[in-house]
Amino acid sequence: MPLSRTAPNLRWAYMDHWRVESVQGPMSQYTSLQNFDAFVKQIAAVGFEAIETFDFHLPVLRELCGSLEGCREFLQARGVDRVLSLFHGVMYDERKSAPHARQTHDQLFNYAKHIMSSSAGLGVENFIVMPAGLYYDVEPVSDEKIKACADLWSRIGKMTADYGVKTCCHHEFFCGIRSLEEIRKFYDWSDPKYVYFYCDTAQHVIAGVDPVALYSELHDRCGGFHLKDTHHVDRSEDYRRRPDAEIMAPTTPRWFWEMGTTEGLVDFPALMRAMKQHEYRGWVSVEHDKADVGGGNYPESTAVAAWYMKNVLQRIYA
Amino acid sequence: MSKHIRWGYAVNHWKPGFMGFARREEHERAFKVTSACGFEGIELNAGTGRWDPLGRPENIDINYGSARGFLRQLNDWGIESVASTFYDPGQMSFEDLHHGLLPTRRDDHAIIQRTAAIHAQFLAEVGAACLVVRPFPSYWREGSLNAERMQIAADCWNKVAESSAAIGINTVLHIDALSALRSVAELATFLNLTSRQLGLALDTAELAIAGFDTFDLCRRFHDRVRHFHFKNALATDSLQEFKLANAERALLQAGGSRKVPRWFGELEHPDGLVDFPGLLALMRELEYSGWVIVESDKGPLPAAAAMMSNGWYVQHVLRRA
Repeated sequence: MPLSRTAPNLRWAYMDHWRVESVQGPMSQYTSLQNFDAFVKQIAAVGFEAIETFDFHLPVLRELCGSLEGCREFLQARGVDRVLSLFHGVMYDERKSAPHARQTHDQLFNYAKHIMSSSAGLGVENFIVMPAGLYYDVEPVSDEKIKACADLWSRIGKMTADYGVKTCCHHEFFCGIRSLEEIRKFYDWSDPKYVYFYCDTAQHVIAGVDPVALYSELHDRCGGFHLKDTHHVDRSEDYRRRPDAEIMAPTTPRWFWEMGTTEGLVDFPALMRAMKQHEYRGWVSVEHDKADVGGGNYPESTAVAAWYMKNVLQRIYA
Repeated sequence: MSKHIRWGYAVNHWKPGFMGFARREEHERAFKVTSACGFEGIELNAGTGRWDPLGRPENIDINYGSARGFLRQLNDWGIESVASTFYDPGQMSFEDLHHGLLPTRRDDHAIIQRTAAIHAQFLAEVGAACLVVRPFPSYWREGSLNAERMQIAADCWNKVAESSAAIGINTVLHIDALSALRSVAELATFLNLTSRQLGLALDTAELAIAGFDTFDLCRRFHDRVRHFHFKNALATDSLQEFKLANAERALLQAGGSRKVPRWFGELEHPDGLVDFPGLLALMRELEYSGWVIVESDKGPLPAAAAMMSNGWYVQHVLRRA
């Protein structure tokens, strides 16, 4: 049953990696209120009702709009309801901040608490985190390290719940908790009241994990989705390659694609059927991280993904 | 007027150069973007050569099987209709081996009318509304109009309108910023010389740049107004540089002596000169029914960005006005 006779089961958000073309070259949409205004209207025009962004954008949002409450008013005046999620922008470092290293947990907890205490006003519902460090920093991945991660995010999740925000774990294909076995252990050992699963379709496919089966297994823990596609499965252990797998892998200059390309490997219709079966209700986010690699651009990728959302996905479950 | 306004988008900004936008997958992405932005129709641009697969009906046949096949494909991509095709006989043609024809020269009429008929037949097959034509060459090429050349052009377009109307297609006259037709008086004279089957297409930016008052034209000629192009003007040609030789390049692209970087802009551009809500209110008052084609003509890349901005403005401002 839908939430009400009029409300849809799903609402659609956009995970922001945007760049604006300018006479000074590509730049962030947060460089001016005019660029931010254009961005918000452009994503609203194609049907998105919320944005997700990185927590390191909080200062500029405050600066551009005077306050975070003012930022939400700015969004709402243009058809975008809220900043749905903050993606926790941390490059983990074992010396000070690594979820598998218990001696760094206080530091990570305090930083997360600072983000929570300084983000009121935007309507944030999710705090999205990579639950472990880079694979090569964590390996050999052990039960003890996964338990340390689970304990950290259970502790942080309890804290964010006090702010009305869910802590959601997002498993990059190059992070220390990436295989089906590792992911299962993590959710078994983390507190189901406070730690949610955020299903990023492309990341799991690249890692060789079926995101539809994984969602079905963890549906009662699911806090949301990043729907993005990939054309490649990592078959040569790029995930453990130094210094970086995400943009520096020699095999694959661009891992992530918008929904709706013919080479895409994610079975989005199957995922929508699974959402319907499990009666998922809430937000679904569309993402196409690094759409500009190789000459693409964010507006076109966003509109093509929005077309797919409206013409394929919403016909299955809306 | 607004019994029913339908919103479409011109394809011209997707193909700024000769070689681009030739591949089918580029069409697919462009039309999906158009659909996602809330536009239900498109206006094609008459072109030439195999690298312009949408520019000639025979090219559409080669690439999409047939006119109906093209329409079915558009429907699959979320575009409901082809609204119109813009045809400028002054453009070169590989098919007819010329570097531009003049409606003001009787010797050119046969090819112009044959080409227009080809486009009109295609438009009829896809259930489109109108053929949008450029009735006069640029001023720098034609000079001031006189009664004789106005009559010759009227004869050319009357014939096109008659043939097109016979298969259900309106022919509409699109006056642009560089046109040899420069005044309301000339336009009134020309309309008197032409059949009532010939309508007017009002292009907000072109008219503003040329110094016309679109509101006045809309009121004065509303019984002939059958098509709109909505785009913003960011400057007017106050120095009358439409007279410059090769003004298409020297003025519109190079910016003229003031080096105007952009003449056309998005509907909500902060420097825009056109009052779209006001014009739409007037169109409704006059009970306009038909297509409004939004354009990003010569807009900056990426093309999708301007279309998304214009989509927002149509959805959140114009449709709610």
